Amino acid sequence: MNKLKTAEPLTREQYLKKFSQAVRWRLPPQESEEAIADYRELIYQPERDRGKLVEELGEPVQAAHLLTDVKTYRRWLKVFAVLAFGLFLLAKWNWMGWSDVHLSFAEQWWYPVWVMAVGLALSLYWFRRHGQKNGPMSKWLMLSLVVVLALGAGVLAWEWRVMDAEFLECVAAEPFRGPLHKQIWVLGDLLMYGGAACALAALAGLVLAKCYDRRWLALYILGLTVAALCGFVTFQLKGMSLEYLEANMIQAYLFSRLIPIGAAGLIGTGVALC
Amino acid sequence: MLKKDLLELCLLQLLSRGDKYGYEVLTPLRAAFPDTQESAIYALLRGLGKEKLTEWYMAPGGGGPDRKYYRLTPAGKDRLEELCSDWRNMRDAIASFGVE
Repeated sequence: MNKLKTAEPLTREQYLKKFSQAVRWRLPPQESEEAIADYRELIYQPERDRGKLVEELGEPVQAAHLLTDVKTYRRWLKVFAVLAFGLFLLAKWNWMGWSDVHLSFAEQWWYPVWVMAVGLALSLYWFRRHGQKNGPMSKWLMLSLVVVLALGAGVLAWEWRVMDAEFLECVAAEPFRGPLHKQIWVLGDLLMYGGAACALAALAGLVLAKCYDRRWLALYILGLTVAALCGFVTFQLKGMSLEYLEANMIQAYLFSRLIPIGAAGLIGTGVALC
Repeated sequence: MLKKDLLELCLLQLLSRGDKYGYEVLTPLRAAFPDTQESAIYALLRGLGKEKLTEWYMAPGGGGPDRKYYRLTPAGKDRLEELCSDWRNMRDAIASFGVE
């Protein structure tokens, strides 16, 4: 008995959905919307045989490929590669706690901030020029922003707590692996998982900003900011640079740097939403 | 002349006979060039629009929603003349070898 299933032909809705996704990824927003409207008209012709959509029109991705202006698409791919590579670095640094690259002229804890600066400037430049708003703001965008913001605020609040001078003195007086030590390890876990998760959320925001609505860039920028803040703190802790500071200086030292970085990210997020 | 040029010639010739909506353009061309998918013909039609050889407008379509109608521009008519001339030259050249 032949158990091989023959593939079900695509329905009109499935075809249009696949085509829309492919074309939005490849074409500038206005062109992609025009092409989608044209294909909607072609697909929903009463004379059209629903079972022969792929045979007559070709595969949706191939159809989008035929409409692609190679030069423009390659330029977008280069921008995407730079931004995605930055996110990969942030996720890796947060996860591993160190960088393979060592530049002699700068301390490692500034690397995540550089990545954030490049990502912020490049993404805002690109999407303000080439992106397009699409209808009212998505509730999913608002929800994801709230989640990432809450995660970032939670990490910073925990950081504030465990870097307090009194707390650190209590930790120093406590035997190793005591409950206060564990609170510091919780910070390490928060930085590791939170930073990597925010980098992933930022990647999703980047893809959605290209495919649906440029305001999803806000999720990219907020995720990038939180991941960069986590990376900055991780490198500070792993680099043991804080050992040279008095206990009552550590909190002020860290937050005098974290607050302006976070503020820049929040301003960028606001700009992306406008 | 390449196949793409022949397709372009036929497409422009089709539009020279009157304004047509997308499906009306794609169906006869696909029938004439069965190994070419409609997406390739649509890409060509779109490319001609970018080159300002064709233009479009929305108009009511047979009781349903508005349709996008395509028509030739003066530049498109010039291009059609150019392609027709190329085609005649090619046909004569081939005929001179005795190809019917």
